Amino acid sequence: MLTINLFNGLVYGALLIVMCSGLALIYGLRRVVNFAHGSLYMMGAYIGYSISLQSNFWVALVAAPAVMAVFGVLLDRYGFRLLQDRDPLTVVLVTFGLLLVIEDSVQTYWGKSNLSVPVPEALAFSVDLLGTPVPAYRLSVIVIGAAVALGLSLWLRYSKVGLFVRAASTDPVTTSMQGVNTDFLSAGVVGLGTALAGLAGVVAAPFLSLSPSMSADVIIDSFVVVVIGGLGSLAGAFIAALVLGMVQAIGAVYLPDAAVLLPFVFMIAILIWKPSGFAGSRT
Amino acid sequence: MKKSLLGALLALTLGGVVSVLVSSNTLLSLLTQAIIYAVFALGVGVLLKQNGMVSFGHALFFGGASYLIGVLLQMQRIPAEWVIVLALLTITLAAFLIGLVIVRVPGVAFGMLTLAIGQMFFLTASRARGLTGGADGMNIEWPSHLFGVSMSQMLKPASMFLTCWTTLVVVMLLLAWLMSTRFGSLTEAVRDNEERARFIGIRTLLPRAAVYALSALVTGVAGVLSALNTGFVSPESLHWSLSGVALMMVVVGGFKALWGPAAGAVVYFLFKEILGEHATHWMTIFGITLIAVIVFSPTGVAGLFERWVLGKKPSVKVGGH
Amino acid sequence: MTNYVLQAEDVAIHYGGVKALDGVALTLEKGQIRGLIGPNGAGKSTVIDAITGRRRLTRGRIVLLSDDVSALGVVERRARGLSRSFQRTSVFSEMTVWRQVELASHKMGVIDSANDAEAVLRELDLWNLRDQTAQDLGYGEQRRLDLALALVGRPKVLLLDEPMAGLSVKESLDLAQHLKKLTSTWDVSVLLVEHDMDVVFGISDAVTVFELGRVIASGAPADVRANPRVREAYLGSAA
Repeated sequence: MLTINLFNGLVYGALLIVMCSGLALIYGLRRVVNFAHGSLYMMGAYIGYSISLQSNFWVALVAAPAVMAVFGVLLDRYGFRLLQDRDPLTVVLVTFGLLLVIEDSVQTYWGKSNLSVPVPEALAFSVDLLGTPVPAYRLSVIVIGAAVALGLSLWLRYSKVGLFVRAASTDPVTTSMQGVNTDFLSAGVVGLGTALAGLAGVVAAPFLSLSPSMSADVIIDSFVVVVIGGLGSLAGAFIAALVLGMVQAIGAVYLPDAAVLLPFVFMIAILIWKPSGFAGSRT
Repeated sequence: MKKSLLGALLALTLGGVVSVLVSSNTLLSLLTQAIIYAVFALGVGVLLKQNGMVSFGHALFFGGASYLIGVLLQMQRIPAEWVIVLALLTITLAAFLIGLVIVRVPGVAFGMLTLAIGQMFFLTASRARGLTGGADGMNIEWPSHLFGVSMSQMLKPASMFLTCWTTLVVVMLLLAWLMSTRFGSLTEAVRDNEERARFIGIRTLLPRAAVYALSALVTGVAGVLSALNTGFVSPESLHWSLSGVALMMVVVGGFKALWGPAAGAVVYFLFKEILGEHATHWMTIFGITLIAVIVFSPTGVAGLFERWVLGKKPSVKVGGH
Repeated sequence: MTNYVLQAEDVAIHYGGVKALDGVALTLEKGQIRGLIGPNGAGKSTVIDAITGRRRLTRGRIVLLSDDVSALGVVERRARGLSRSFQRTSVFSEMTVWRQVELASHKMGVIDSANDAEAVLRELDLWNLRDQTAQDLGYGEQRRLDLALALVGRPKVLLLDEPMAGLSVKESLDLAQHLKKLTSTWDVSVLLVEHDMDVVFGISDAVTVFELGRVIASGAPADVRANPRVREAYLGSAA
């Protein structure tokens, strides 16, 4: 019993890793707390659904994030970039407006009822994990989460573009003065962030059904992860995502009421004592 | 102040006229809902206007007031009139204490904090079946008479409308008066330039916490009206999406003018009821309107009105640090 | 021992390897105008921050009217009569001139704040602009407003951080006259950070010279001007 719960916790944690890394990247580059991130996740899931209806899951797995990436680039170019001199709160409110538009559009186009995406055949079997049978698909979600975490870490640490991204996150002015095209970079990173949200959506679809409330379900958890992990810190987000997934899974069995509230207590504590990452003003 | 008093009297008269002339109960009931939301938005707007702070968790005070009333009435020990007073006092005090801790937190972090606090209460209410009826919500058992008026009389659409309208006008009048006092100057100064405020000798924590408590009180009043109007409360009244809707009304209506949030509530309901008739995706249009307002006219509908009709000059400052 | 209204003793502010101030000593006598000069980054504004409590001291004390105020915050020091103006104009942009100055006076505990506010506004030629919103004022007017906010409530010690910055020659001279008048009529002692040498040497009773977080000379204007180390620090510019 414990194994399966821990396992499910890891699965959800992996999903959060994919999603929250996007949120953290967008904050790191654009200093924007993207309230619409959950709806981007939802958008990716629904687009993936439509694509897989036309062809198959695997195509959707690549195509949906690609579509979301384009959306992200446009969002940065015509949204975040134009608003970058405004108050951070203003931009947050705009992302809130975006949330409304996306949610409503998704509902209008795909309807309000729950939709399901079948698990791809190639992964529709069980694997024996420490004596407990677990769905292979869910195991692959964990693999994807790990791959994203590893890939992003390596990319940021060792690639030239990764260096620019880290530099721009820390000091955008100096970085652009050094000749790095920060606008181009930001558009790319935001595109990556939205693609990751979309990827999380596509990946989540086979085991969490598609519903209009999808985005609301994950957005709060994403914020909790990103705040607890330390804003803009990917490593922190990875760890926090896993911990949150586990706490929720285990807590759901043993201490349901406490487990649900605990992440919020942590988030509140961190925001009160160390809001520095979130201050929004770097004066 | 005299202008505000006159305006209030006119508004009250207008309300009276409307309640008599409008015969459609559906319309009256719709207007009542809009007014309750307007009061809610007013609370959120006060925080934004006087403190420059954006709260994503004010539904806590809205639903919280309703829940407090529901629970206290259930105990059947205190007269309903006092229950209302007690509920509002509790909300205000709790908000002041919370405010003392959280108003120090700057910028977006404050918003996230209010979001987290609000959600915690939402989750608690959803699960506390014994006390709050859990996710199904709870009925609010009003007695047969309130403030001497029979409940059946009060619940008639016309009287409900009038009660809510009067409350809105009185609340706005009181807020206008408060803002014209020294307290108003003080909080405006703190919002305008916190550092200079300290350098002229203002201790900034207490005024900001007080404004937070005040905004909670106004929102709580909306919660009381809602409890009267529907006789029911559910965790949805505590959900952050409700806070978000109120915030949108404030932004669209404009938070600089006192009547801005109320205007925003009207616009929201217009979109919902009228546009909603013809277009199922009215929320998309509202969302786009919201974005457009933020980008092009940050002072909202009220700001536009004041610029075009009254010729005032625009001034923009949301965060005010 | 002379009666100092303000004393900074061995004040140091270190952070992250930077020594913004390193063992600074300053005194201010009653009714005196002391000019603080020095190249950019020498620590002049930091001294004001240290004295007003805006920055925490790594070492040293600040003594205001014989009381050690080192542990007190900005608000408490203001209440005791220590006031400052800002290098980058800091006013309440959305409030009218009258409302903010009157508020500042009230916060200083002045019983008749309306009278006090009026006196200050008239003194700084802002009375006619009292119903204007601060952001609608011209640059020079806003600087005077910044000063007005610091002047209400009859502060004992006034710290001015480059009050002439951006003002025209005439405006600077006018302001200098006002300052000179204030010290005698209102009993205010002034610490004046300025780049404009003519102004500083023109109205100061004493001058302190800063360089790299340290005081390199202090005394009567004529003596300081003749000091070879000071001339060196300024490389012959305007000294």
